[in-house]
Parts: sequence; structure tokens; C-alpha cells
Amino acid sequence: MSAAESASAIPAAPREPLVEMRNIRVSFGGVHAVDNVSVDLHAGEVVGLVGGNGAGKSTLIRALSGAHPADEGEIYVSGERVSITNPRDARTYGIETIYQTLALADNVDAAANMFLGREITTSLGSLNDAAMESATREVIGRLNPNFKNFKVPVKSLSGGQRQSVAIARAVHFNARILIMDEPTAALGPAETAQVRDLVTQLKAQGIGIFLISHDIHDVFDLADRISVMLHGKLVGTVDKDKVTKDEVLAMIIIGKRPEQVSETEMATLIN
Amino acid sequence: MPEARPVMEATLKGAPGKRSARSLLASLEIDGRLLGMVVAMVVVWIVFNFLSDGLFLSPRNLWNLSVQSAAVAIMTTGMVLIIVSRNIDLSIGSILAVVALVMGLLQTEWIPNGLGLGLNQPYTWIVVLAVGIALGALIGALHGFLIAYFGIPSFIVTLGGLLVWRGASFGLVSGRTIGPLDSTFQLLGGGPRGSLGETLSWLVAGLAISALVYGILASRRRRRRYGFPLRAVWADVTLGVIGSVVVAGAVWIANSYPWPAALAAAYAQEHGITIPPGGLPTGIAIPVLIAIGIAVVVTVLATRRRFGRYVYAIGGNPEAAELAGINTRLTIMKTFILMGVLAAIAAAVTSARLNAATNGLGLGVELQVIAAAVIGGTSFAGGIGTIAGGVLGAVVMQSLSSGMVLIGVPTALQDIVVGVVLVSAVGFDSYLRRRRA
Amino acid sequence: MSIRRTAAIFSIAAIVLAACGGPGTSTAASCTVGVAWATFQEERYGLRDEPGVKAALEAGGAEYVSGGDGQNEAETQASQIATLLAANIDVLVLNAVDPVAVLPSLQDALDAGIPVIAYDRELESDKVLFLTHDNVEVGRMIARAVTEVQPTGNYVIIKGDQTQTNPIFLREGMEDILKPFTDSGAITIVAEEFTDEWKAENAQTNMENILTAHPDIQGVLSQNDNMATGVTAALNGNTDGKVKIGGQDGDSFALNRVALGTQVVSVWKDATELGTAAGEAALELCADPDISKVTGATASKTSGGLDSYALLLNPVPITKDNLQVVLDANWITKDVLCKDVTPGSVAGC
Repeated sequence: MSAAESASAIPAAPREPLVEMRNIRVSFGGVHAVDNVSVDLHAGEVVGLVGGNGAGKSTLIRALSGAHPADEGEIYVSGERVSITNPRDARTYGIETIYQTLALADNVDAAANMFLGREITTSLGSLNDAAMESATREVIGRLNPNFKNFKVPVKSLSGGQRQSVAIARAVHFNARILIMDEPTAALGPAETAQVRDLVTQLKAQGIGIFLISHDIHDVFDLADRISVMLHGKLVGTVDKDKVTKDEVLAMIIIGKRPEQVSETEMATLIN
Repeated sequence: MPEARPVMEATLKGAPGKRSARSLLASLEIDGRLLGMVVAMVVVWIVFNFLSDGLFLSPRNLWNLSVQSAAVAIMTTGMVLIIVSRNIDLSIGSILAVVALVMGLLQTEWIPNGLGLGLNQPYTWIVVLAVGIALGALIGALHGFLIAYFGIPSFIVTLGGLLVWRGASFGLVSGRTIGPLDSTFQLLGGGPRGSLGETLSWLVAGLAISALVYGILASRRRRRRYGFPLRAVWADVTLGVIGSVVVAGAVWIANSYPWPAALAAAYAQEHGITIPPGGLPTGIAIPVLIAIGIAVVVTVLATRRRFGRYVYAIGGNPEAAELAGINTRLTIMKTFILMGVLAAIAAAVTSARLNAATNGLGLGVELQVIAAAVIGGTSFAGGIGTIAGGVLGAVVMQSLSSGMVLIGVPTALQDIVVGVVLVSAVGFDSYLRRRRA
Repeated sequence: MSIRRTAAIFSIAAIVLAACGGPGTSTAASCTVGVAWATFQEERYGLRDEPGVKAALEAGGAEYVSGGDGQNEAETQASQIATLLAANIDVLVLNAVDPVAVLPSLQDALDAGIPVIAYDRELESDKVLFLTHDNVEVGRMIARAVTEVQPTGNYVIIKGDQTQTNPIFLREGMEDILKPFTDSGAITIVAEEFTDEWKAENAQTNMENILTAHPDIQGVLSQNDNMATGVTAALNGNTDGKVKIGGQDGDSFALNRVALGTQVVSVWKDATELGTAAGEAALELCADPDISKVTGATASKTSGGLDSYALLLNPVPITKDNLQVVLDANWITKDVLCKDVTPGSVAGC
């Protein structure tokens, strides 16, 4: 465990996973959106979660973030069984999420969004806006030195600036586990590069990241392992170093592990 | 405690060169929309003053206006929060009626006869008011519970409330008028005896000005500590001076309205004092003080407490609020409880002013309150609206109505004018917002 | 909004009718009388008018069917009348919300051969028996009583809802008495205002604004007691009785004010008497639908000039000199009438 926490050493994946989701099942009215899926994540590791539309990856991760608890299955954080029924629970275990839609309240400013639900209060219980603003300036300043508009509603900010707020919110509160849902979907190349740098930084700090993406190239750049889902089931989890992009594509579309795919199927797929 | 960090942006110190109106506003850090409302109100006042040959801006009329706006202003503060969080409350008029009648029956029958205590005991009014507020809170809680935890739309629940509580208020008294009310309770409604008089009014003014100055100084201190850009000194001084002048001016006007001669003579005799040459000053009416106090309290709730932050977040993006771990259902329920309490206080002020509780009380007041909130800048899309704007909206609406009676506009035309003003104000505001965005 | 109320009342009325076994099926009821009430907002309708009607009908062995509370809304009343007609009533007693809007419903009733009594509010028709306290006379009584104690000065007239006709009758009566005073210049009417829905708070706000324009007022003629309550509040209770205020209805709070001296007169129309008269006239019409044959009916003209029949009852102006009248009629109890009154200061307390 100390290997992961020491900042100087390149972290070797410790034996015990940071997060383990076992036999997760989520149903919506009789349909299994997630059917008996097990994934895990180690400290300092990025696990890419990929799959087509409706594969169930968002639903699986919402069970971890507390947005929609699982119907069956268990979740373990650092080896301990935990119960996550709402977003607050997830936060207590150091799980932070950057949602695809960013989940920002458009009518309030960056500081209010940063601290939404866990505001800094004075001894009388009033909001300490000054402290929150100060902390926000600091955190966002490190992420995005060009960010200036701290007092305007976030609705007026650009896509990249809004992303900065969402990211700052996720990293400020000592997250150990970060969930990133389509983080680069709405970003241009410069901002995408920033996100990549951030992920590398966070990995070095020993934070474990679940990265959901439909973009194979992004996933291959960032992830250490890749878990593929199709129709609610887990097709398989592979080490990035041991597969090609086409093989992963095959897993996504056909649902077969690399060793199961025939040459003809592979040929049809590539063309 | 965070260290002071170096300032990141230039402060707006000094006064070099020319300045556009917009940067002037920005230096003062005043919400442009709110300022626009104040300007509109001043324009309305000046126009009516001209049309009424100087009657509108007389101390008497302005004093009356403040009392006439009080009940609606009180309820508008709560309605702003409800509309901001994407809900509506149509039941407030009926809550007002049923609470007023219960309070009326308590002080004229149940306490004097039921408990054998007799009429006009010194502390009856406190008990009555407490029961009324508790009843309002209960009704609000019931509505809030059905809306937040059962997911029934607020329009439907409060529409049901409008019918149920109006029916209940009739059933309570079979249409009877309850009056006169307890002599101390009546003071809540204003009138010469229900006003602070000269000394206390100036005391209140002094307190308000001190609070304003302290607030400005505290804000400077806080900004300096965290290294934020400061408002320019001239801006702070201007704000302080303008604020103080407005407060002092308002109190001076209230004190310039004398008691009716006969009442003043009776009072002077009772208390063995002599009446000053200009007449006995009336001062700030108690219902107006209550309305101002409530506006301050609700503004603090809305801007400095987590409750208010959550109300606005829910209005801005309900899903984001949920994902942030906010207990959105409890927050929504609280907005309706607050509304019930405010309706109860408005019931006390309205019935005390009338010195009677009738079962037609508050009929149609929900529309006046919603109009005031909307004119004051609250948007039905949710997430946008200020308490101060709502209170100003209530004053503007009442200025229009009273002004038209003052100059003798026929009743039918009055309704048309109010309707046109409402639509124009909101339409103009939408247009401005779209242009700015 | 009123659609919901209509639906609610419609269904409640239907359930009530069904529960009562429908009209005409009980052995004693050979006569079913339906009553369409305009509103129960004023205390008199629930407390006096309705019980009066019911008692008279019961005594005559007839059945009473209520259309429900019209809530001062014309559409609500229209559907209530339709329900009554569908319930096969023999006579319709109609207390109109809006005299023009109700004409189609009136026509439906007349077409069905049902005799109609206009209750307290006039209907423009030559086939309807208008039962009322003479509202013009009420206006005269209010003006008479106030001008008697205040023959000079500035007067304000607070009128009722502008969509109804009673304010016009009342104003007519007031004018009869006021004219000689205004002609000679002894009295000046400085302001007259209609009051939305006869509401007390509206009267209060209007009076306050009138006072701002005309601070020196000697007399106020209010067309009912509910609004007089608002006027009194605008005058800070008028505890010294300096402003002479007149009203009508015999509202309990107003009668107390008469006893205290803050109101000069409340013209009392025994609403129970009106209800009883309606019941008795309805019983007669069940037997013979000819309105001219009803006991006490006199030939009269409607406001629009049609020749018709009316049954006029006499109102009684109650001042501090004859409070005993309302006590004797059990209209009000002594402790309500005499609240805060120094014992012996007026006859009756």
C-alpha cells in the first residue's frame, strides 16, 4: 500500500485492487441494463470502460458514483465492502465523478459549483463565500491559468472552462477514485491535450481512474487496461499492451475476445 | 486559514479617464436589473405625482402605499424561492383566509370564552400569532410533502389547496365576519397606534445605516484578507452615502405624516404629552417594519445559507443538485413550509389592518404575488430571481393600483393597465436577457 | 380554475341528489323547489336566507334542492342551474350572479315551464316574480339616516361590484335623498368608487386613497356592511364617530359598530324573512304557476321597462335608537351586539 503512496517511485500495481465491483446487476423494468458484470481498478491505474450505445457502461459506473445504486452485487473499496446508495455515500469513500453533462448548475458561479453539496460554512452555519472563492481560484488556477471569470454564472463560460470547473470539483476533494464519463467528447484538441496531461498527473499521484469513452484512440492513449461491455454483459478485460485496436473493436462490436475471433470475422470488421 | 494570495486582477482603484455607464455599474457592483426596477418605480412615482397634482408623493400617500404593499411584499419573498426552484404556489390566498379566521376566532371567542380569560389580555396576540404561524407552516408542510415526496406537480397540489382551504374557511364561520379583533393584535396592521412614532423610527434608521456601513466595511476587510480585488473607495463611499440617504429619507417621510388630529389629541391627553407644531409624527408602520424584516431574513436565507444555495441550484439544474448529494426533496418541502409561514404572517397583517377576519380575505392575492415576483425579475424557467426584486415588484404594482384610484381612473381601465404593464415588463426583460446572452 | 370548481360542484350535487333518492320519489314531496345561490361569501346567505327558505318549504311539505355555492361566478351558476333543471324541479328560485349572463339559463327554465322567482337580484324579464327588499328604498334609508345626523359637508359613496344591478338601485335611492342637499350645495359628493367583488380590503384601500385626495370627509354611504368594515378601518376605527357611515345587511360586526356609535345605520333586511317569503311564494307557485296570483305580488316595472310583478318586503333601518328590533328578532345575540359597549349608553345594551 505504501508503494502506491510514495510519489517518487513509479507505482507498481499493488496486489489489492482499489475498487472492486463484483457481479453487478442493474435492471430497468425487467431489462438487464447491467448483467452480472465484474470489474476492478488499482491505484495509479486507468481502466478504460468501452462499449457501443446501450452497452451499459454508464449504468455500471452510476452504481459506483451513487447516481443509481445497483440492484444486486457488491462493491469493495480498498478491500472493504461498502454500500453506495447515493452520491454522498460515494464521496465518503473518496469516489468523485466528472459527468458527461458536467452536472453544473448554470445559474451559479464556479465556486458555488465547486462546493455544491459540501459548502464551506462559518461558525454560524452561513456560507463562507470568500473562502470558497479563494479555494476555487487556487484550484482552477493550477488547472487552467487563463481562467478569469470566477464571479459569473457558469452558463456564460466556454466548454473548456466549464470542463475545468467540473474537473477541479472532482480533484479538489482528495479523491482516490475518479470516474470520468466521456471527458473529451465536447472538447477541442488543445483542451483534450490538457485532459490527457491531467490524467497522467493523477495517475502519478496514485489515483485510480475509470475512463468511459467511445473514442478508441483516447482510450488506447490513456488506459492501462480496457474492459469492454456489450448488451449489459462484460465481454472481457484486457491489458492494453497485449491487444491491438482492431481486436478491441471486435470485442465492442461482435462481443468476442481476441482469441475467439476468427480471421474472416476480423477481415469483415476492418473493411 | 488560507494565506493571502497575490491579487490576480487589477483593482479598480482611482478614477482615470472617462467611464461608460456599464463600467460604472460594474465598479459599484450593482445588479443592473435591480437598478432598472428602481428606476422604473421612480418613473411611475413621478408620473403619478404629476398627474395627481402632487398628491402621490405626499407623506400620507407614501405612508399608505407602504402599508398597502406590506402583505403582498411579505408573501412575494417566499414566492420568489418557490418559482426559482421551478414550482408554483396557488394556494396562498386561501391559506391566508383560513389562518386569519382561526386567529380571529382564537382571539375573539376561543381564548376569551373557552379559556375564560376575557378579551384584550396583554399576551393574547402572541399566542394567537404563534398558533397562526404554526398552522401556516403545517399547511405548507402538507403541500410540500405531497409535491416533493409524492411527486405531484406543485400546480395541482396548490390548486387543490386553493379550493380546500377556501372551503374550510367558509365552513369555519359560515360566512360570518369576525371582528373587532384584540386591541394589541390590531397594532400589527398599522394605523397611528400601530406605528413606531418619531423616536423609535429614527432609532431603526440609525440601526439600518450602521448595519449598512458595517456591511461595507466588513466586505472590504474580507476581500483584503483573501486577496480579492476591492471595490474602489469612491464606489464604497457612494453606496454607503446613497443607502444612508434613502433610509433617512424614508424615515423622514414616515415621520412627516401626522396622526389624525382627533386621535392625536386623545393620545396626548392619555399620555400627558404635548403635540409638536407639525402634528404627532406617525413613523414607520409596524406591518412595514415586519415586511422589511422579513425581506432581510429571507434574503439572508437565500444568499448566505445552504438552504438558499440549494434552492437556486435546484432551479438551475435539478439533476446536478441531486448528483451533488443535495437533499432536493427536503429543500423543496422547506420552500413550501416557508411560504405557509409567510402567508400566515400576511394573514395577521391583513386582518389586523381590517380589524376583522372575513372569509373573502386574500381572494386573488396569489396572482398579485406571482405578478410581483415576475415583474421583479423571477423567471418561470427557474434559477433566476431576487428577493429585493420581488419586493420592489410588489411596491410598483401597488403604486400603479393606488395611483390610478388617486387620479380617478375608471375601474375597468385600471385592470387593463395592470395587465399591460405586467406583460410589457416581463417581455422587455426577456428581450434584454436574450440580447445580453 | 372555475372548470374544476364546476366539475367538483356538479359531481357533488349529482351525488347529493342521488343520495336523496332523487326528486319526486319521496311520498310527501309533491313540490320540489330548486334554489340557485350566487354566493355564500356574505354571512347572511348561509346563516339566514337559506335556513329561511328551507324552513318554509319544510312547513309546506315541499322538497328543497340547493344548486350549491355559485361563488360569484356566472359560469359556475349556469351549470348549477342546468343541474337543477335536470333534477326536475317544479319551481326555480334564482339568486343571480350576473343578471345578463344568467339569461340563457333563465330561458331554459321558462321554456321548461318552470315558474321562476328572482331572489333579491333583478332579472330582466316579464315572466319572473322579483322578490326583494326594496333595494331602492334601502338606498334611501341609508342616505336618510346619515343625512339626518350630517346634513352638510363632503360625502363619499362606496359602491358594490360594478357588474351587478343592485349597486344601481341603491345609488338611485341614495340620489333621491341626496339631491336636494347636493342641489343646495349643503353636501358635496367628492368621490364615488365601485368595489371589486364587494370586498372589504378593496373598500379599505380605495377609501385610504380617496382620503389622500380628500382628507376632509363628513359622511360615507357604503352600499353594504362588509365594505363599511373596510371604510371604518381606513378611518382608523372612526372611534369618535366623527365621520357618519351608513351600510346595509345587519352584519354582526356592523351592528356592534352601530351600538358603539362608529356607524350610524345598518339597513337590516331580515334575510330570514326574505328566505321565508321565497319559500312561501314557491309553495304557491307549485300550486298555481301564475306569478300575478302570488300573495302580495304587485305590478311593477323592471329597470328595462318591462311590465312584471314584484314582491317587495320592507327593510328596517337600524340605528342606535332601535337596536332592540334585531335583538327581539333573534337576529343577533346581546353579547355580540354589545361587545365593548358601555352598559346603558344605548337602548338595548
